[in-house]
Amino acid sequence: MEMQDTTYDKSEYVETASGNKVSRKTVLCGSQNIVLQGKVIIQSDAIIRGDLANVRTGRYCIISKEAVIRPPYKQFSKGVAFFPMTIGDHVYVGERSAVSAAIIGSYVYIGKNVVIGRRCVLKDCCIIEDNAIIAPETIIPPFTRYGGSPGMEVGSVPECQQDLMIDFTRSYYQHFVPARIL
Amino acid sequence: MSYIILPDVVHYACTCGILKPISKLYFCRHCLELRCGFCVCHEADSHYCDKCAENLPSSEARLKKNRCGNCFDCPSCHQQLSTRAATVGPKNPDDPKAAPRKVFYLLCLLCRWSSRDVGIPDQAAVSGGWPERENIYAHRLQEIQDMYKAIVLSDKQQKLDKDKKKQRRYMSFTDRTGITASMLRKRIGWPDVPNPLLKAKPTELNNKAIAKEEVEEFPEDLLTSPVNLSLATTMEQRLVQPEWQPTTIDKLFPIHKHLSVKRSQRCRSCEHNVSKPEYNPNSIKFKIQLFAYYHIPEVRIITVEPLRAGKVSELLLKFSNPTQHQTSITLFPYKVDDVIACEDNRTEVISQSSEEKGSGSQPSSITHTSLTRQPSITIKPRPIKTRVVADVVVPNASFVLPPRDDAAEYDDSGDAHNIQNDPKIVVWRKSNKAVIKLQVTPNSDLNIGDEVTTAFTIQHIYINTITTVENKEPQKCEHKVKVFLTLGNLVGGS
Repeated sequence: MEMQDTTYDKSEYVETASGNKVSRKTVLCGSQNIVLQGKVIIQSDAIIRGDLANVRTGRYCIISKEAVIRPPYKQFSKGVAFFPMTIGDHVYVGERSAVSAAIIGSYVYIGKNVVIGRRCVLKDCCIIEDNAIIAPETIIPPFTRYGGSPGMEVGSVPECQQDLMIDFTRSYYQHFVPARIL
Repeated sequence: MSYIILPDVVHYACTCGILKPISKLYFCRHCLELRCGFCVCHEADSHYCDKCAENLPSSEARLKKNRCGNCFDCPSCHQQLSTRAATVGPKNPDDPKAAPRKVFYLLCLLCRWSSRDVGIPDQAAVSGGWPERENIYAHRLQEIQDMYKAIVLSDKQQKLDKDKKKQRRYMSFTDRTGITASMLRKRIGWPDVPNPLLKAKPTELNNKAIAKEEVEEFPEDLLTSPVNLSLATTMEQRLVQPEWQPTTIDKLFPIHKHLSVKRSQRCRSCEHNVSKPEYNPNSIKFKIQLFAYYHIPEVRIITVEPLRAGKVSELLLKFSNPTQHQTSITLFPYKVDDVIACEDNRTEVISQSSEEKGSGSQPSSITHTSLTRQPSITIKPRPIKTRVVADVVVPNASFVLPPRDDAAEYDDSGDAHNIQNDPKIVVWRKSNKAVIKLQVTPNSDLNIGDEVTTAFTIQHIYINTITTVENKEPQKCEHKVKVFLTLGNLVGGS
């Protein structure tokens, strides 16, 4: 199926010189610690907790509505410490997903209502199905599909996932257009 | 995108007759055929652990029973176990200067099972050193295995002997000349030297299993003591450890993590690789990647008008050319008994290509060494069972798709390809993509709510860039693929 246009209210979104489209209704804590490499879409009511640690995304990332990006923490004998979070290129995070992974590789698809526990490592080209709960500190190898609660490997991903995700995020960006005023 | 989340609506017919989305198909450019995961040979290239990404040679993997030596799964919920550190008092508590010791234990962060629960002592090192459990029957199992292996060998030997006896009826040249030592021995009546690798007789088991007359007495407390189900293990917990099959949770021990494999895939007919990943477990790159997604034009449904039985609906399809070469696409109607097209999907257009390149004396590409390799297995295509319940009016003309250009994304200056469009077919065009308008008529005997599937054959020009000794020019071939479209459900009658 060809992707349909997703329209947005032009007054709601801020577009930067590098092509990032960020909704004004998001909660971006500690915005000086958030780096968006370009052509990133952050939709309304998404939360990025840059105040806890640095958050760095690659190009063509899509953070859907009400998603929460929260850097992971680790408990030590003397209190807790937060760790920076890096997200690769062409990553999609679905609606109402809470992500506390340490590293998200490139070409990763995270579905709706997913919980990714703290300090998880998502390698390149993996898919997290809708409603999956991934336990903390899980390492998800490339070309695997995780789903269910608790999240387990449920299948594999086609080998051309890299190009599928590039195509998906690019066309999502192209079809993310301001609503026409009639 | 539809390949990731949305339902699969466009399927391609693999050479073996299975319908699959294009993302799961391979294209062998030596036989010029589509292959799917069911009609390629899978080979395990390397073994590695998912968690620590450590590569193991296959012999070591076999020795470790395809499990990682350092990583563990939770025996209770089968998630990955992580190592936790804890500090305990120094070795000699009388010395006030002694630093506190660090010890490590395993903990499941999902169900909170820990290695301390079952009394595994804490370790002083981060990884390794966890006590290995030895199955008390391991020796006996090995004995039985060895015995059966010997039986298999002796069976083989007997068969060989039988064959030899049969052969003796005929006089062979070696018999006449009597060169071989074995022949000589036979002639003078000495027994043949047995192969030292083959044991003559299977070794008997030292201690056979004997049925006991007395059985254990029925434990009374099974009936008297209250049952605590929270202490019993579940079926999954038992079956994940077939060697031990713990019945109570105090016997759950961490499980060594299973290894994964990197696999390469080989075309079954010509034995060329269609997919070969890089050795590094974390790499997503491929040494050989003949995926159909990179070679076959992709078809996507844009819109379809509401489908009514017997009524014409308009269907918009988007074709895109993934290759670096211009291609021309012609549509043909789908025939159910399309046997000829099934067996001979490709027709070389030799005359055309040789004319264009101005070398009329080129040998036919059929005689290519790469194309005429003897197939090891011939696969008979299965008939496609999907019912096609709607007719598509295919245009007579073909249309051209320009090559894929990654820079076109940054080029806003319209289309520079100067392609003459037939406005009746091509609705829209940009870089390597074109939108085609077609007419679909669902069969008039369909009921409301029935799923409507239609199909057609696309023929595209494929430029084969394999060069051989005889032929350095890229080959131009016509390749046909059957495409099945699931258009949705019928909304109303006629």
